Amino acid sequence: MRKGAVIFCGFLIAVSGFAIFTATGWSFKTKLFPLSVAIPLLILSTVQLILMLLGKEATDEGAMDVDFTTDVPPEIVRRRVVGVFCWIVGFIALVYLLGFPWTTPLFIFLYLRFQSEVSWAGALASAAVTWGCFHLLFQSLVHIQFEPGVIQAWLGL
Amino acid sequence: MFEAFIDGLLLVLQWKAFSLMLVGMALGFCVGLLPGIGGAATLALMIPFIFKMSPAEAFAFLLGMHSVAATTGDITSVLFGVPGEAISAATVVDGYPMAKKGEAGRALGAALMSSLLGALIGAFALALAIPIVRPLVLTFGSPELFMLGIIGISCITSLSGSSARGQIKGFAMGLLGLLVATIGQERQSGSLRFDMGLMYLWDGLDFVPVLVGIFAIPEIIDLAVRGTSIAGDRPPENLSAGVVEGVKDTFRHFWLVFRCSVVGVFVGILPGAGGGVAQWMAYAHAVQSAKDGTDRAGFGKGDVRGVLGPGAANNSKEGGELIPTVAFGVPGSGAMAILLSGFLIMGIMPGPDMLTKHLALTFSMVWTLAIANVITVILCLAILDQLAKLTYVRGGLIIPFVLLLVFVGSYTANGQIADLIVTLIFGVLSYFMVIFGWPRPPFVLGFVLGKVIETYLFISMTRYGFGWLTHPIVVGLIVLMAIVIAYPYVQQHRQRPREPVHA
Repeated sequence: MRKGAVIFCGFLIAVSGFAIFTATGWSFKTKLFPLSVAIPLLILSTVQLILMLLGKEATDEGAMDVDFTTDVPPEIVRRRVVGVFCWIVGFIALVYLLGFPWTTPLFIFLYLRFQSEVSWAGALASAAVTWGCFHLLFQSLVHIQFEPGVIQAWLGL
Repeated sequence: MFEAFIDGLLLVLQWKAFSLMLVGMALGFCVGLLPGIGGAATLALMIPFIFKMSPAEAFAFLLGMHSVAATTGDITSVLFGVPGEAISAATVVDGYPMAKKGEAGRALGAALMSSLLGALIGAFALALAIPIVRPLVLTFGSPELFMLGIIGISCITSLSGSSARGQIKGFAMGLLGLLVATIGQERQSGSLRFDMGLMYLWDGLDFVPVLVGIFAIPEIIDLAVRGTSIAGDRPPENLSAGVVEGVKDTFRHFWLVFRCSVVGVFVGILPGAGGGVAQWMAYAHAVQSAKDGTDRAGFGKGDVRGVLGPGAANNSKEGGELIPTVAFGVPGSGAMAILLSGFLIMGIMPGPDMLTKHLALTFSMVWTLAIANVITVILCLAILDQLAKLTYVRGGLIIPFVLLLVFVGSYTANGQIADLIVTLIFGVLSYFMVIFGWPRPPFVLGFVLGKVIETYLFISMTRYGFGWLTHPIVVGLIVLMAIVIAYPYVQQHRQRPREPVHA
């Protein structure tokens, strides 16, 4: 955990350092605001990193944001986090390949059947209802233009 | 004046105007529930439909829709941790933890009732303020508006910890948000910044994909990790009793709701700030109103006051935004700019005429805001029991549908696959922020305010050099900012038990 926190702090230092390095080559107008923001960010992140390394971090943190669950064993947490990330990345990949209108029922079916272990009939019915709602709401009523996926474009559909 | 007030009510109650208001409200209800499809975008979509309407009908339709979207946006924020509207993001911070504690009914009752009170206070402010607000708006130039943005960020960052070390993370996150907002074309010179050679980034990052990534993705991951329903394994709450408790909470903390509504009206009046700022300033005020550190510790973990403040401010700012739009033709937000085009389509020129010739029409807007919110809240309270039951459905059955809503919402920003990738990137960033204790609200506020703040800073520097720092109102605002930052230290110092004095 502590190692991860140090890496995150290092990430912030790297981001602010990159911003400062990039902005120095710009005109005064263009760099004024990014530099006035990135320089204090670099200073604060460095101070935080030093405090972390010295073990003098604040103890009153965590205010004003949600807490994640802590009663699940770490190895299960890791496995489930990786699992849900795979589903999210898979969803985006499906949208890229098939487009939203085809991905919607397919994703709902796959997730419900293979992740949530819903019966075949239940998963199929949910996918069909979702596809109907998606079509009615987003395509017929709100008229959102969904780009076709790469596969449809390739097949000329 | 009183006659115009009653005439305004009668205009709204005409059957055609009233029916159109109900249609607008139904649309606003759906739009509010769907993440990403904002009230402003829907206003723009509906503008072509008003050509054949009378002015009173058109404004009943448009305002009915717009004001309701802000109210129902809180529902998904509480139930799934996914803001239905960009202006409902602050409700997630305490509303969703309440749902996780099995108090979804209470959170929804509080959110809706505070929204109603906020809307009524906003409508009342609109009715009262038009004659007196002109000097205030004219006093605030670019330097003052810049300082106001900085105070907004200071409010939220100063609450990230009660010691200097605790505040470092809050300020760093606020600055990171401001830095992310600089991505894309610089408005004054047109130069590209941090675009990584990607055309997608030329216009900067859209608010919706970033926001849903920041708030929704970590909550979805946490729900998957727990493997239970949103409310966990807790026994189902008595939903009706929870809703009633939430309504009671609103009146129990009436003065907090009132003050947050005033914050909403004030932010709404000022051009460019908008609901994204009002909700966080109200949230910060709710946290700062806590008596001591112990009282404050519950925020972020399901304190009902964290739901009441943003709920009230979100809706009161509607009335506030209408004040400069109606009185001077200066829109307070993107949505109001679209509404302004509605005025012009109707052949009405905002300005002094709205206070004389069209006074009844102006009051009809006040009545629309009030009536639309009363009807919505009554309807919502009637169906809350069913909505809150969703928090007891197994997470595995909810996740795919929430994921779908999240990504469709983010896709609506630009209609590109890159929107989904941005959502994922900020979702991952946000997940690590929560894991390592870096607060997200300052980041979001910095990101929302970044472009506005930079524009005001640029205008101030161009026009006054560094001389703007000596403007009396700016000096006053700097002092206010110092107080805001120092307040947690002072509060902590006061609580510290005194050393016994030995003779």
